[in-house]
This record gives sequence, structure tokens and C-alpha cells, in this order.
Amino acid sequence: MDEREFREVLKGAVAGIHEDLEELLRMYMPMINKYSMRNGQLDEDLRQYIMIHVALNISKFGM
Amino acid sequence: MNHQQDSARDELRARFTKWLETLVYRAKLNYLYKNREKVETVPIDEVAEECLCCPGFEEGCIRDLSGKDEIWFEEEKLGKAFTELSLARQRILLMLFVEEKKPCEIAAELNCSVQHVYNQRSLALKKMRLALGKGGESFG
Repeated sequence: MDEREFREVLKGAVAGIHEDLEELLRMYMPMINKYSMRNGQLDEDLRQYIMIHVALNISKFGM
Repeated sequence: MNHQQDSARDELRARFTKWLETLVYRAKLNYLYKNREKVETVPIDEVAEECLCCPGFEEGCIRDLSGKDEIWFEEEKLGKAFTELSLARQRILLMLFVEEKKPCEIAAELNCSVQHVYNQRSLALKKMRLALGKGGESFG
């Protein structure tokens, strides 16, 4: 994804477009997985919590 | 011109990545805080005093005033102030100053919170200072 596409996706996610948010979460999944590790194992509940947290707060990002 | 636009977009992605990382990190901390393991505790005041006594506690500590046993008070007044404390507070002070245990160790042993240990220590010392009179011994 080039920078222009990224900008569009980000803009859409911030505006509340579900597809764009989904795309953004997919793009940043490695980071989310990294922070979802507990005691060396992936904590599914934590990952879900993080994703919900991101979805609820993405609109606060200032473009 | 084109180069400037590209760098501005790069800056946006970098800024968003940093922002998202902070958000995710905080979300994790929040989750861990909400799901922290809670140790069931019983307030020390609700524990029967006999349970807090170590074997031979009374014979040991009170006779300590004579200066022959484990704990030896230099001043009789201090020993008297100590014996006026409740057994629970006496035990906390003994663990802190004689056994030189850390408050967290004491809390784990007595099954209470660390803050409770600090509170009991503070109250016990305050009471002892009062018993010793104003401007009495300062310790702790």
C-alpha cells in the first residue's frame, strides 16, 4: 500500500468507515499481536480488548 | 514538490504508528489492571489475636523488659509503651524492626495489604510516641 492509499484508508477509519478500519487493523495486526502476548502466549481476550479499544478511539486521531 | 508531499505522507504514517502503539500499550495496561489477580484478604482487625501470636509470644516479649530475652528495650518506658499496643500492632512492629522484614513480606504473611502494614506501623509508632510523652524517642 502506497502512502496515498494509506492516507485514504486512515481518513476513512477515522471517519468511521468499517472497511477502512478493518483494513487498518489488518495492516497493524503484527503490532497488535505483539502487545497481545502474555507469558509468552497470545491472549485472545487481550487482543480482542485491544482491537475494540482501537476501534473506539481511532476517531481521536488528529489527521 | 513531489518529494515534499511524499515526506509529509511518510510523516503521517509514522505519526499514526506511534500514536497507535501508545494506544495499544495503554489498552494492554488497562486490560491487565482490570484482570489482575485478586488475593483474598482478611482485615487484620478481624483476625483473632490468638492467631497473630507466635508461640511463646507473651512470655517472650513481656519478659523482654527484663533485658534477658530476644527483644531488649533500653528504656523501661519504651517497653511499657510497646506492651500497651494491641498484639497485632506489636507483631507488626516486631516483624518490621526486629525481624527486619519488608512491609510486602509482612503483608503476605499476615494476608493483608501492604498499605495496612504501613498504617498499623504508623499508628503504633504514633501511640508509642504519645505514651513516651511529647518529644520522646524518635524511631521508624
